[in-house]
Order: sequence, then structure tokens, then C-alpha cells
Amino acid sequence: MQSVFDRRRINGPEDSSAPIFADEHQKSPTPDLYKARHNRSVSDIRPIFLQPGLISQANGSAYIETERTKIACSVYGPRQSKNTAYNEKGRLNVEVKFTPFSCERRRAPLRDAEDRSIAVAIQQALLSSVRLEHFPKSTIDIFLVVIEADGIEGCVASGSIAASMALADAGIDMYGLVTSCTAAVIGEEIWIDPTQEECDMANGTLILSCMPALGIVTNVWQSGRMAISQVLACLDTCDGRCTDIHSVVAQALLNSARSKV
Amino acid sequence: MDTVLSSATPSATDVNSFLSAAEKEALKAATFQRLHPQIYLKRFLEEKIRPDGRSIADDENEDTHAWRNVEVNVGSITTASGSALVRLGNTTVVCGVKAEICEPELDNSDEGFLVPNVDLPALCSPKFKTGPPTEEAQVLSERLNEVLGNGMIPLSSLCIYPGKSAWVLYVDATVINYDGNVFDAALLAMVCALKNVSLPHAEFEPELNRTICTRPNSDPLKPARKLIIEEDLVPLSFSFGVFAGSYLLPDPTASEESLLDTTISIILNTRARILALSQLGTGVDKSEAPGQGVADISYTREADTLARCISLAKKRKAIIMKKVYDI
Repeated sequence: MQSVFDRRRINGPEDSSAPIFADEHQKSPTPDLYKARHNRSVSDIRPIFLQPGLISQANGSAYIETERTKIACSVYGPRQSKNTAYNEKGRLNVEVKFTPFSCERRRAPLRDAEDRSIAVAIQQALLSSVRLEHFPKSTIDIFLVVIEADGIEGCVASGSIAASMALADAGIDMYGLVTSCTAAVIGEEIWIDPTQEECDMANGTLILSCMPALGIVTNVWQSGRMAISQVLACLDTCDGRCTDIHSVVAQALLNSARSKV
Repeated sequence: MDTVLSSATPSATDVNSFLSAAEKEALKAATFQRLHPQIYLKRFLEEKIRPDGRSIADDENEDTHAWRNVEVNVGSITTASGSALVRLGNTTVVCGVKAEICEPELDNSDEGFLVPNVDLPALCSPKFKTGPPTEEAQVLSERLNEVLGNGMIPLSSLCIYPGKSAWVLYVDATVINYDGNVFDAALLAMVCALKNVSLPHAEFEPELNRTICTRPNSDPLKPARKLIIEEDLVPLSFSFGVFAGSYLLPDPTASEESLLDTTISIILNTRARILALSQLGTGVDKSEAPGQGVADISYTREADTLARCISLAKKRKAIIMKKVYDI
């Protein structure tokens, strides 16, 4: 139920619900694990499409698409920090917004705090890569719009890659490009880059963000039940995939830089 | 610390020494545009060209070069019942339709709902901040609601069971890149997304008081359906701006939009009949038109700006129709 009637938007009926399908309850609880992967081996990531500089109004921008996950990101700044005390270091501000049609259920505006937690995860992944000491008194704003989501883990990983690419596109000083990869423990196996469906049946998931060029980890986010050996194995595989993603990101940036000249 | 700061903030001469001659010229032009936007635009228009390279629509040259290129891509978002991505020059709008089930209103017990909203996130332009919808977003949503609510989708066709169950279509457009004429782009995105919608077969069970849908392609007797669309009422919008009382600019960009003194929107149906019109401002002022001797006599001959806009819009409509129907 909508508790407050928001006059700033066009409002529909007081209450509505997603359609209920006749076969909802019959949905197989134990799907064939390997079929679910759609011809992808457990250590494969989904193909990534990357394009920097699509948003002409922004200082830097990037669009990322990994199969169903689609995220647009733009960077504004460094610009003056308003209403804040003097700070020798710049601020890195990350905000994430889901479009109402991005998930299976409609995301009515301003109803949950999930976007905040994703923003925090992305901010942490990027924070140690940006040379904020070069931008005293300023703020770098990173805005992400999730056009379509396929699992929260995938959003954090794709969002971090897009944001780091947009920072590079904006010409902001960084130590290195940040790339990110996710893994899920399903049964005894480790599956890389899981989809929403796969995350739902996982015991635990892990997101690794790192700067492959420097061999430095910037953020690890593990949740769920995992043995220590599994955590280490996840980190190891994710690290390898991050290196692969790094070359994709670097190539896309190089192509766009060449086309500008 | 001193060395860090000095290397981070090089003086103006340092920056110039890195740049090639062409880059220096571009920087000069950008500075001029920032400081004197009016004069900057006027100098372009006096040369009969617009800053983005488009020609000015005069009598001989009313064709495609006066408008920006338009691209439409439908159905790429699988989580939406229907979706469209529209690019109008640099302006980019994504629109997704989510169909949900609700109870009809008491006084319109056999009608569903159509709920269009536009979001202008902070991502799309430095003009906007995060938070609740800005005034501009509210005005845009309201205008789109008026145009789409004219009966293009008969609301009675969204009824599942009178008084008990109906479809509500949430039509949400998000602007990804704000480079002017967002209204035209958002309306086109909404129309294309609605055309793309496929609703699952739905049946209301009175004894259980609930609505059950059938998954598309699971039962050949209960197929998913497209929306019923009144083709005569499908709106297509064409916007114009008037700069300095004398130049008519179709499809204005963001940098032009902030300098306009008149904005005109012509909304046509697919048969080029006028569905709605809006003009804010006086249009092209004959006394101020640069007809005195040099630049342009065609404008002084033009009796009425609105009539001229309508004829330009009708020509443009044919091109848009191809994009919308040939997908």
C-alpha cells in the first residue's frame, strides 16, 4: 500500500499487484543445474558489452551490458563541494537508481533502500582507486541508472566496472582501473558470474573488486555460508576473470580514445 | 604537499602548451559559448547553420537536415511487458511498461489505468539533482499524461472483469541523456513501448476473488495479446523553438533550448491530423525578422509561425512514421 499520496507523480490506482500465473507454484524447485547455465561452463563469465562516452552532457560516462544486466553510468565533476566543511581530499559520491521496470516486480519509486547498499558497495570498490588527494574541496559525483537488473551481485560488479570506466572517460586521476567479478557457491561447485536465478539457489556469494594492473584488491563482499577454502577458491577464480575483464575495459577505452582523435 | 598541488593544478599556460592548434581553437570557441551563449548561437544562425551542423529550415530546404536523426529500438528489456529505447540526436530515453493487476475505480468499473511518468535522473544532465521529481519532470509527466490519455489505448480494453479486476499499465520513461526536446523523445518512446506491450491471458475467478494469468506460449487456447490501439489517436509530437524573435529552430538541443523565447509543440496523429497544439511565446516577430535587406526574406513572407510549424511537422511525420512502423 502506498502510505503517502505523492502529488509530484502521476498516480495510478491505490493498490496493484504483479500478475499471478497459474503455474507459479509448480515451478520446479530443483532445476537441472547445468541446463540453467545456458551452455556456459561454471568458470565462464557472460559476454560484456561496454561503451564509454554515450552521455554527452556528462564529464564522463559508460554503458555496460552483460546479457540481461544493463547499466548506464555518468560522472560529473570534480565540482565544488557545497554545504560541506573544508576538506583536503575530494569526496566520491555514488548514487544508484533502479528504473521502475528494471526488475521482475515493479520497483515503485522511493520504496526500498536496496539501491543505497549497492551504491555503498560500488563506492567502496572505487574509493581506493581514485586519487582524491588531487581534488581538494571538490566532489566527484557518480550516478548509475539500472535499466535492467539480473541479480544484485551482478549489478554491483557491472556497476563498479562501468563507474571505473566512466571515471577514466572523464579523465579523473586514478591509480588503476577497477574491475569486479562475482562468484556463487552452488552445491560443492563454484559458479562464476551468477545470474539472479543462480544466486537464489546459492549457499553463498562473493564479489571481488580489484585493480588487476596493480594486483591490488579494493573491495571484497562475501555473504552467505561458505567454507574458508571455498572463499579462497572464489577469490582466486574471480581474480583471474577480473584480469580478463580489465583487458576488455582497456580495449574499449582505447577504441573510444582513438575515435575521438 | 606543495609538489602534489602544483602538479595537480597546472597554470593556464601549462595547459595551453599541451594542446594542438586545433584544440586551442576548440577551447576558445567553448569559452566564447560559455560567456556569450546568445551571440554564439546568433553567429551560427547568421551563417544559416546550427551549432550541431544542421541546416536551417527555409523554404527550399525543409527536408531532413533540419531535424536530428532518430533511432528506435524496441523490446530489449525482458523484465518489462513492453519497452523502447529512443535516441533523438544525443537525447536518449528508455521507456518500459509494467502491467499489473488492480481493482477498477467504483465510478469507472469497466476501465483500467494508464499511468505515464517521466524521470529526469541526476545522471542525464548536470542540471538535475537526486531526489524527488523536479518541477520540469512533473510538468513533462503531466503533459504526457494529457496527450496519452486522449484515448489512444481505450481504457475499457484493459478491463478483465467489471468492477473486480483490470490491468494498470505503468509507463515509465527514464531520460538517460538530456540534450533537448525531451518531450518529443519521451512521447515517441512511450508510444513505441506501448505498441510493444504483450499482456498475458488473464481470467478472474469470482469464487476465489482473484485473477489468474496464463504464461505466454503455454496454452495455445489462451494466448498473450497485444494492446488495442486506436491508430487515429496515436500522438506524435514535433517541437520547435524561436530564437531572438526571428529564427525558427525545429527540434532544439539543450544548449539552444535555454535561449529560446518561444516554444511550440505540434502533436499530430498518424494521419497528420492535429491532436494538440501548444505555443508559449509570440512566435517569429515580423518586425524583428532579419528581412531588412540581407539575411532572410522567407521569414518575413511567413504570415504565421504556427502555420509554418504545422507544415514542417507534417513533413517530418512521414519520416517518423517509417521508424515507428517499420520495426
